Amino acid sequence: MEQFDLLMHGMGVVLSWYHIMLMVVGVLLGILVGVLPGLGAPNGVTLLLPITFSMEPVSAIILLSCMYWGALFGGSVTSVIFNIPGEPSSVATTFDGYPLARQGRAGEALATAFTSALLGALVGVLLITFLSGYIAKFALSFSSPEFFAVYVLAFGSFIGLTKTPALKTVASMMIGFAIAAVGMDTVSGNLRLTFGFTELLRGISFEIAVIGLFGIGEILCTVEEGLVFKGEQTRLTPRIIWETWKKLPRYWATWLRSVAIGCWMGITPGGPTAASFLSYSVAKRTSKNGDNFGKGELEGVIAPETADHSAGTSALLPMLTLGIPGSATAAVMLGGFMIWGLQPGPTLFLEQKDFVWGLIASMYLGNVVSLIIVLATIPLFAAILRIPFSIIAPIIVIICSIGAYAVNQSLFDVALMLVFGLYGYLFKKLGYPIAPLILAAVLGDKAEDAFRQSMLFSGGSLGIFWSNGLAGTLTTAGLAMACLPLIGRLFKRRTPAAV
Amino acid sequence: MSKETATERQSGGLSLRAGGLFTSASLIVLGGIVMIGSLEQGTGWDDAGPQAGYFPFYIGLLLALSSLGTALNILRNWRKGAADLTTRAQLGRVLAVLIPICVFVALMPAAGMYVSSALFIAWFMWRMAEDGRRYSLKKILAVSIGVPIAAYFIFTVWFEVPLYAGPFAGWLTL
Repeated sequence: MEQFDLLMHGMGVVLSWYHIMLMVVGVLLGILVGVLPGLGAPNGVTLLLPITFSMEPVSAIILLSCMYWGALFGGSVTSVIFNIPGEPSSVATTFDGYPLARQGRAGEALATAFTSALLGALVGVLLITFLSGYIAKFALSFSSPEFFAVYVLAFGSFIGLTKTPALKTVASMMIGFAIAAVGMDTVSGNLRLTFGFTELLRGISFEIAVIGLFGIGEILCTVEEGLVFKGEQTRLTPRIIWETWKKLPRYWATWLRSVAIGCWMGITPGGPTAASFLSYSVAKRTSKNGDNFGKGELEGVIAPETADHSAGTSALLPMLTLGIPGSATAAVMLGGFMIWGLQPGPTLFLEQKDFVWGLIASMYLGNVVSLIIVLATIPLFAAILRIPFSIIAPIIVIICSIGAYAVNQSLFDVALMLVFGLYGYLFKKLGYPIAPLILAAVLGDKAEDAFRQSMLFSGGSLGIFWSNGLAGTLTTAGLAMACLPLIGRLFKRRTPAAV
Repeated sequence: MSKETATERQSGGLSLRAGGLFTSASLIVLGGIVMIGSLEQGTGWDDAGPQAGYFPFYIGLLLALSSLGTALNILRNWRKGAADLTTRAQLGRVLAVLIPICVFVALMPAAGMYVSSALFIAWFMWRMAEDGRRYSLKKILAVSIGVPIAAYFIFTVWFEVPLYAGPFAGWLTL
């Protein structure tokens, strides 16, 4: 079948010693950022972007995506051993992972986490392999109104379907759009929102927002409890791995459910974090050992890990085929594509077959490589976390500052990063979601262009968004989802009994 | 987020409602700034479709309105917001990290990134060591000088991402 041939072609592009070395480096860096607070996946990928400028796009995306897998795995390590989630998406892993560690079963918990993660990720990649071609072909017929409709749907679902309060989601999103609007307007060439600051002439790069919000903000949150890493003893021998693997098949139903939840939330703007929480609560409700969740139940590790990784991988599907990222890290990668001069979306599949199928092929290899490396290097990373916080914290801040400076060689950006950092702290504490901000910052210009192009076609009529079935459905669905919270409120008032 | 009940609040911390109002207020101001900036560009339509200020204007408006809504919610649930966003102890720890970071960034234009980094690490190791540890001067010097040097080799030389050296730029033309 066609996809299989393309996949084999991709494998051919990918299999070289250079690429395998990049995979290993990417995974190691990824585990490192996954394990350290303040250097999560979105931030880590952002920090590597300047380095990729001189590389071939295929090599660059292999490095970045492997870092992504590594970070997802790495976040689980600290969740289990230290009860400190390295990634927001590993929070749910602490619920049962850490109790298992305290019972001396850390090795089992880790082996379970990684294996579930790998299986979840592989399903996500399979999804991408087989569906991307169809979606891309379908999207070829898209024109500006359809693209804008898709954006409306994406942003609308963030407002309507995530648990965060709608007003805060809207505010967060608007900040992202505002960031995107600063600088030169693509259509008229005017300078917008620069207020005479020369530093703002080139606009505000989304990377600065990511590093500030996710990096500095996270450090500030972590510091609140006066962080000292006290980890449980971990023994991870091949024997433990084997014993754990023997136990896992009996949880096939949990695994299936979690994969479904994960893929769904990856493709729609839910993201790995939401997926892991949802999967955990569903597993808890449907499991026979539901009451044991939270006390060290293997199922309680399988559910969030599988969902988290399958969401993380399937978030790349809409990113590649439609140019709509399903998670913050996917948004950063999208930004990377644009910087390398690639246009994600249907044209990518047509014009850059080597790149796309090389990437997809590398996802299989990358995940397997990640599993091997992470199993082998846990003691190393656990040791890194024993470096005193008073040394590691400033180093992380310095790395973030270097990353912010490197984007545009501008110290102003470093100061801006700090402002974002402060807001990142406030936002995390107050429950403002950050992913929509990043999405809006990355997609803002494109969304606006799509809107203005559509307006040019229609001569100013908004009706163009309902001019055909597809655009109309997408636009209506998007607007409907954006209004869901409002409708929900109205219903609550009418039926006070049903709360 | 802190799980304290609404009525208990240690003094000196930052309450949910204060923090929330500050954030919402600053976002309303931000929204206003965006709206004013857009007005300069024209927020109507011309032959080429929406003018440059059209989109940003509504963005600013939505930002201001949604933040106003959040602020009103806080005011409406005034009592519930009395719980701590950060306790005094937590706030102390956060500021103990935030202020040095601000100084670090402020020093950069004058001293360059390498020197600021060295001073920054040295400060942390000297003042923020946990569990009452004290690092020897030798150790502090070793790490605070070692890290910027490592950064130079990793970033400027290997990755070819030059870092801002400020007045010391001449030293680095090796």
